[in-house]
Amino acid sequence: MKRSILVILSCFFVVALTARYGFAQSESSIKGKTLYTNKCQFCHGIRGDGKGPAAEPLLRHPADFTDPKFWQEDVVEKIDVTIKNGKEMMPAFDLKPDEIKAITWYISHTFKKETQYNK
Amino acid sequence: MEGRKMKRKRSEKVFFLIIVIGLMQLLPVTNAWAVPSFARQTGLPCASCHTVFPELTPFGRLFKLGGYTMSKSSKPYELPPPLAGMAQISYTDFKGLTSGVAPFDKTNRATDKINLPQQLSLFYGGRIYDKIGAFVQVSYDGVDNKVYLDMTDIRYSNNTILWDKNLIYGLTLNNSPTVQDPWNTIPAWGFPFASSSVASNPAAGTIIHGALDQQVGGIGANVFWNNFIYAGATFYRTTSNGIYKPLSIGTATEQVVEGTAPYWRLAMEHRWKNHFFTIGTYGMQANIFPSGYNSGQADRFTDVAFDAQYQFMGTIEPEDATDNGKPKSKARKYNITAHATWIHEKQDWKASFPIGNTTNPYSFLNTFRMNFNYYYKSHLGDVAGSVSYFSIIGKTDPLLYSSAPIDGSKTGSPNSKGFILETDYLPWEKVKISLQYVIYNKFNGAQSNYDGYGRNASDNNTLYAVVWFMF
Repeated sequence: MKRSILVILSCFFVVALTARYGFAQSESSIKGKTLYTNKCQFCHGIRGDGKGPAAEPLLRHPADFTDPKFWQEDVVEKIDVTIKNGKEMMPAFDLKPDEIKAITWYISHTFKKETQYNK
Repeated sequence: MEGRKMKRKRSEKVFFLIIVIGLMQLLPVTNAWAVPSFARQTGLPCASCHTVFPELTPFGRLFKLGGYTMSKSSKPYELPPPLAGMAQISYTDFKGLTSGVAPFDKTNRATDKINLPQQLSLFYGGRIYDKIGAFVQVSYDGVDNKVYLDMTDIRYSNNTILWDKNLIYGLTLNNSPTVQDPWNTIPAWGFPFASSSVASNPAAGTIIHGALDQQVGGIGANVFWNNFIYAGATFYRTTSNGIYKPLSIGTATEQVVEGTAPYWRLAMEHRWKNHFFTIGTYGMQANIFPSGYNSGQADRFTDVAFDAQYQFMGTIEPEDATDNGKPKSKARKYNITAHATWIHEKQDWKASFPIGNTTNPYSFLNTFRMNFNYYYKSHLGDVAGSVSYFSIIGKTDPLLYSSAPIDGSKTGSPNSKGFILETDYLPWEKVKISLQYVIYNKFNGAQSNYDGYGRNASDNNTLYAVVWFMF
């Protein structure tokens, strides 16, 4: 009996942890997606390839998040600095650290190709 | 005594205006923008969206098609609201003007050489909420001494992928046909970008070229696919009554449109390196009651136009150009733009002809306008030079274009043609000084004695100087 209770409690604990992790992940994903859609998509594109509608007339195209080269070395810091300070035609955005984190999470989980992500 | 009081009042107003303009000059130059609220909202300099304001760059066109909603803020709204202002002071000289400086004076200022101000405007320019934005201009006309709702364009915009390419789609609610269009070939945003409020103008003009501004309100939709094909349609109704009435606040609806007047637009843009080419067509059909009527039979105007635009967006620095180790932003040292538009208007006078207002039951009007602009960005500010040619050709109609001093036609012909030369200097991004000279080779049908009262076309040659302040 005791064993059964222990197993049930363990299962409940595991499910609760997974659900919490999943919820946190989806919350971050939704926030990141919303922010990306509203702030980044017009230039960086729906597919994150730097070919959004507003990218066409720019002299230098926006970053391509599907390009493996983008994800090399200090990428999180690079994204953070670029969003805060702007770069060339990209303005500096008034975003909070958690919002920048959400965008970074979203673009890394959406546009970074699976094979690169697993490296 | 009264005269002295009036004089003192006037000089107080002039002093007040000088103080305001002086204070505007103290605003930080580094934060100077075009319609500054757009720039404050996006965090981008005005050169991103304008060659020299108000002409748009390719990126500026996309900002407009994006519904004026691009913003650096994480909130779905702008706080403080995106407000901006504009002041225009001008000097006009052509035969027949007296001199005058009388700000906010209620008397007729239509013969003044100096218009102080010519116009003052307050803009709501930017995001309203999320994907809805607006360009709303409320103006004070210093010549007519009236405050009115000027150009208004409220937009919704979103984007998606269609057939593997980007698609921007949106809605517009506006009060002036062509104001919703992002190219500078169309009448609402075409060259010249400023002109005198007191100069003589040819008697004839097409309906789509400003005749219905603030006289109609319309809702429309537009799409821009693959940065290549643009299509739009707007359906206008009169502002004399109904839900669109608020869109003409301060303006009497003199051109009453019967039913719905459709406006259409189709354009194709292509980029080759730093060269942007656009060709397009636009038009409108409107049934308009004769002046003084708002029911019964209406005249029908069908405007079909073709336009073309070329933009060279400046020199490109090498890919690896750096400034103290940091990537150097690619300065556009100079821009070249050229615009051309031809409008054919078919006029069916089915209301005016029977009541004796026109000689012909049908007639036409063809207008052509082209201009070439060169902009150079120097260390001392931006300089620009423009040359424009225009012509108006139509069917002779002694009743429609009758003989009258200055504005009339002895021959009944509406034909006019001429050139505009303009030079601009922007010492700062928010200040533009323009000097313009309009030359008429033909005015209302003739070169000499065109009005039957001894006035020649060249007597209407106009020197116009204007200073724009944006803040």
